[in-house]
Amino acid sequence: MKIVKGYVRNITRGVITPLGSVYGNWSLFWMLVKRDLINRTSGTILGKLWPVVQPALQVLGYWFLFDIVFSMRANRGPEYLEYLLTGMLPWLCVAEVLNRATVMFREFSPLYRRNPFPLEILPVLIMTIPALVYGAVYFCLNLILGGFERAILSLLVLPMLMIWLLPLCLLMPVLGLFIKDFAQAVPFLLMITMFLTPILYFPSMLPDTVRSIIWINPFSDLMAVVHGMLQGYDFGMLNVVRPFLIWLLMLGPAWLVFRRSIPHIREVL
Amino acid sequence: MSDVAVSLQGVSKHYKFYEKELDRVREILTGRPRYQKIEALKPVSLDVNRGEVLGVIGQNGAGKSTLLKVLARTLQPSSGDIVVNGRVAALLELGASFHPEMTGRENVYLSCAIQGLNHKQIEQVYDEIVAFAEIGDFIDRPVKTYSSGMFVRLAFAIATNIDPEILIIDEALSVGDGAFSRKSFDRIMDFKESGKTILFCSHSMYQVEALCDRVAWLEAGSVRKVGKPVDVISEYSELLRLSAKREESIVASAAVEQKEVADAVVVEGQTRVPRIVDVQVRLDGHEAKVYKIVCGESDLDITVIFDVGAGVPMPSVAVAISGGDGRIITSAGSVHDGVVLETNEEDLGKARIVFPALSLLRGNYFLDVALLCEKGIHLYETGRQVAEINVEQKGLERGFVKLPHEWKP
Repeated sequence: MKIVKGYVRNITRGVITPLGSVYGNWSLFWMLVKRDLINRTSGTILGKLWPVVQPALQVLGYWFLFDIVFSMRANRGPEYLEYLLTGMLPWLCVAEVLNRATVMFREFSPLYRRNPFPLEILPVLIMTIPALVYGAVYFCLNLILGGFERAILSLLVLPMLMIWLLPLCLLMPVLGLFIKDFAQAVPFLLMITMFLTPILYFPSMLPDTVRSIIWINPFSDLMAVVHGMLQGYDFGMLNVVRPFLIWLLMLGPAWLVFRRSIPHIREVL
Repeated sequence: MSDVAVSLQGVSKHYKFYEKELDRVREILTGRPRYQKIEALKPVSLDVNRGEVLGVIGQNGAGKSTLLKVLARTLQPSSGDIVVNGRVAALLELGASFHPEMTGRENVYLSCAIQGLNHKQIEQVYDEIVAFAEIGDFIDRPVKTYSSGMFVRLAFAIATNIDPEILIIDEALSVGDGAFSRKSFDRIMDFKESGKTILFCSHSMYQVEALCDRVAWLEAGSVRKVGKPVDVISEYSELLRLSAKREESIVASAAVEQKEVADAVVVEGQTRVPRIVDVQVRLDGHEAKVYKIVCGESDLDITVIFDVGAGVPMPSVAVAISGGDGRIITSAGSVHDGVVLETNEEDLGKARIVFPALSLLRGNYFLDVALLCEKGIHLYETGRQVAEINVEQKGLERGFVKLPHEWKP
C-alpha cells in the first residue's frame, strides 16, 4: 500500500511540479522559448523561414526516398504521400525533443550552474519549442490536406505527444548527463524506433507475423491514433490504453530519478 | 516582519566523490549512497539580522564560498534549513547567465526573470539598469561584442538594480575599471547605508573591519568564532601570523582590485578617477631609491602627489612599511588620523607624512603607498615598493622596531 501511495505521489508530482513551475516562472519560461526561437534563425539568410523550411525539406527527403526511389506507394497513389506527411512531421518533432533531452542539462548549464534556476521547467521547455515550430507547420499542412476542421484537430496532436513524452524528458536528460554512451546511442535508437513505427509504411504492408510485433512499440499506437484522428484510419481502444499504461508506469520512476539527480547535476558540471 | 534576514540552522554541505561515475547513476536509480563524503561545510547555525553587515573570513578551503553559494541558492545544502527573508542579489560570478548571442537588452530581461521578476517589474527597472551600466547603444548588440568591462558593468547593474534586500559579496567591493569601479563601490556603500543586509566574504581584514558589524570566522567548514570584527580579526590574524601567512594590509587588502585600477587614467562621463602622480621619499632630505640608514637617526619624509579626479570627493592616502617577507610593520592613513588633504597651487592633491627618527631595527624594509577613497576603503591606485630602506643599528636589539622606552630605578 505504501509503495502504491508513493508511486501515485510521484506520478502526481511528475506532472504538477514541472507544469506548476512553468506557471510560477512564466516570464522566465516564455523568455527562454523566445530566446531559443531567435537563436535558431539568427545570422541565417532565410531567417524566420527556417523553422518551416527545415521540416519541409526533411519530409521532402523521406518522400523522395520512399515514394520515388523505393516506390512504396502500395498501390495507394496520393494517399501514401498524405499518410507519410501526417505521420512524419509529428515524428520529426518527437525525435527533436528526445535528441535534445539527452543533452538538455549540458546545453542549459550556463543558466543554472551559478544561478538559482528552476530546473524542472527545462523538460517542458525542450518539448514546447519544437511543438511550437512543428505545430505551425503541421497546422498549415493539415489545412491544405483536409481543410479547416482537420487543421483544428491537428492542433491536438503535438500537445498529446508531448504529454506522452514527459516521462522520457525527465529521464533522458539524467541518463544523457551521467552516462555518456547513452547520448551516443540515442540517434541510432531513434532511427530504429522510426523504422519500427508505421510512419513510412502502412501497417497492412507488413507480413502478419511482423505486424503484431510493431505494437510492442508505443509509438506505433500513438501513430495509429494520429492517423485515425486526422485521416480516419481505424484505431481501437488498445491503441489508447497501451501507451497510457506505459506512460503511467514510466512517469513515477522518471520523476523520482529526475528529483534525485538534481543535487548531482551542478556538481557534475 | 522578522528581524532576521537570513537564518541558517544546521546547514551543511558535502561534496560527493565517486570512484566510478557509474556509481553516481546507481545511487540516483536506487537511492542508496555510493559515495565518499568530502565535507565543505559542517553543520552551521547562524542568524543575520536585517541591516546587518556580516563579514565571512577564513583561509582558503574554509568553506566561505560554499556558504555564500548555499545562501545564493546556487548550491543545494546537504542538510539543514535556510530561511532567507527577502530578495537576494549575489555578486559571485557576474554575468554567468548571459547568453553571448543575445543582446544586452534581452540578457537584462532574461537575468531579471531568473531572479524572479515578472515582465512588468523588469520594465520598471530596465531604464535604471541601462543608465547605470553606461553602455549606450551597445544595449541592442549581442553581449559577445562587449568588452569585459561592459560585460561586468551590465551584470553588476542588473544584480544591484533588482532592489535586493540581501546582498552577497565575494571578495570585490567594486567591479569594472576606472570610474565605474568607484561607482559600483558607491552603490554597495549605498546598500549599507540604506540598511540592507550584506554578507561580505573577504581575505581583506582591513575592508572587513571597516565595513562589517559582525564577523564569522570559518575554519575547516565550521564556524570557529562569531563576534565583533576587532575581536575575531585579531584572533584570526594571530593565527595567520603563527602559520606564517602573509598578513593582510591596507595595500595588500585591495590587491584583487589593483590590477584593474593600476592604469586608471579613465574619463567617463562627469567622473575622472583619482590617480597617483608622484611619490617623493626623502631620508634626511636626500632622495634615492634605496636608502641606508641607522636606526633612530633619520627622518623618513614621504610626499604623495595625486590627481584628485573629478566628480568624486577628495581621496585619502595611506602608507605602509613592510618587511622583506611582506609583513606590514606599521601603517598610517590620512583618513584614520583625521587629516583632510588639500590641493596645491597646481590643483593636485598633496599628502605629506613624516616618521621622525625612524626606529626600525636592522633589516630590509619596503615602502608602499595607496590612494584610497575618502572613506579609506576603496582603492584607486597603489605604489608598491616605492622605496627600499636598509637599516643598520648600533646595538644588538632584536625585532623590527625600537619603541621609545626608559629604564627606571
